Amino acid sequence: MTTPSLLTSPLHARHRALGAKMADFGGWEMPIEYSGTVGEHAAVRERVGVFDVSHLGKATVAGPGAFDFVNSVLANDLRRIGPGKAQYTLCCDDATGGVVDDLIAYVKSQDEVFLIPNAANTTEVVRRLTAAAPEGVTVTNQHKDYAVLAVQGPDSEALIKALGLPTDFDYMAFATASWDDRPLTVCRTGYTGEHGYELVCRWDDADALWAALMHAGEPFDVKPCGLGARDTLRTEMGYPLHGNDLSLDITPVQARAGWAVGWKKDAFWGREALVKEKADGPKRTLWGLKQVDRAIPRPHMAVHAAADPSVADDVIGEVTSGTFSPTLKLGIALALLPPTTAEGDVVYLDVRGRRAAFTVVKPPFVKVSTR
Amino acid sequence: MTTTPEDLKYTAEHEWVRGAGPVVRVGITDFAQDSLGDIVFVTLPEAGAKIEAGSPCGELESTKSVSDLYAPVSGTVTEVNGALDANPELVNSDPYGEGWIFEVELADGQSVDGLLDAAAYTETTHG
Repeated sequence: MTTPSLLTSPLHARHRALGAKMADFGGWEMPIEYSGTVGEHAAVRERVGVFDVSHLGKATVAGPGAFDFVNSVLANDLRRIGPGKAQYTLCCDDATGGVVDDLIAYVKSQDEVFLIPNAANTTEVVRRLTAAAPEGVTVTNQHKDYAVLAVQGPDSEALIKALGLPTDFDYMAFATASWDDRPLTVCRTGYTGEHGYELVCRWDDADALWAALMHAGEPFDVKPCGLGARDTLRTEMGYPLHGNDLSLDITPVQARAGWAVGWKKDAFWGREALVKEKADGPKRTLWGLKQVDRAIPRPHMAVHAAADPSVADDVIGEVTSGTFSPTLKLGIALALLPPTTAEGDVVYLDVRGRRAAFTVVKPPFVKVSTR
Repeated sequence: MTTTPEDLKYTAEHEWVRGAGPVVRVGITDFAQDSLGDIVFVTLPEAGAKIEAGSPCGELESTKSVSDLYAPVSGTVTEVNGALDANPELVNSDPYGEGWIFEVELADGQSVDGLLDAAAYTETTHG
């Protein structure tokens, strides 16, 4: 089952021992699920779950003016935050405004910004930053220097405290700390919509940290959670996934990620194209879809205007993410729809030849509890 | 390890068949439910529908993917497991019992003799 060319996390042996089902995520062989996606999803919504997300990229931009350099290329306005704070931002293509990657930028100082891009896009983000970096600013790909463990759910704060780690800071803030004499960074970030933390530790410390989290998490009935649950959790929040809902072909204006663009900034990659698209109005925008007829949407399903499957020329859009919501027990989706679309509209998905009715909604599908 | 009861017949598409006819019960194997992950939606054939061996007659969906359910034999569907509408997870928790999917009356001349026995089915899952 192992594909030798795939990269593996420092917890690979542990995942295997736990009986995880593994799959390729951006070139990394990572756990999809351990005991089952639905139960793991519920653990995060109700208690606490721990995810190995070490496949995520890590990169450091350092040197005099690193902060200003990052701010001049990535889309969000880094001046909105200061040292010790993190920000969701976008790396756009300068010519088209399409999204090369979405990432989190952690401001350490004026001269150091730490980035967590997506696994599959790390090399490209680092390449683009390196090519543009001014003299004295270096961009270092640290993909295998650090591991990342996400601790997510209402009991996450108690679990992090049980390890003696700091928890007393705001959503999207971080602190450096030490556990068992090992340095790590505790970030109030995540991709689940729950109160949660992401622990960035040294690659070789991940195994001991995982074991400590599982042990300290016993009173909370902690569950190891796979990337299957991470996907259902993020979809319920309407968080975009790069490659599905954001891509080189799907701009932040279309994906309603304009809140992560620093429109007042003089410069960032893709500024000209995006400002124009925003002014003209995007040709399509990302909406939520919720089932009326029982059906589970899947990426790339066609969205139709008509209920009758014999009507062929009525395709109005496409599903970009779709799944079964374990919380709502309904089919939910994110879909690109025409600018005339309004909340409450009914559209029809082509579910293998049958047309299933869905209502257009504004995500999130489930209440956000990050704060 | 998943289980493969000796008293059932199997198909290479991971269905099991209980009984020799005229009416047999059909479900999916423990191996299949384990591979699919949590089943969250089952599209059942309709009672009265004629089904043909080897053709799709329903769907099983997990959070991540959808799989066809194949008719193991030809005949007429006599009953479907309505409990799966509200509790599709029965296919995971009890694939050979409460998680059965439908019953079919074998068409004239049809038998279960050509289906795989437990040993032959287990062989196919090691491929």
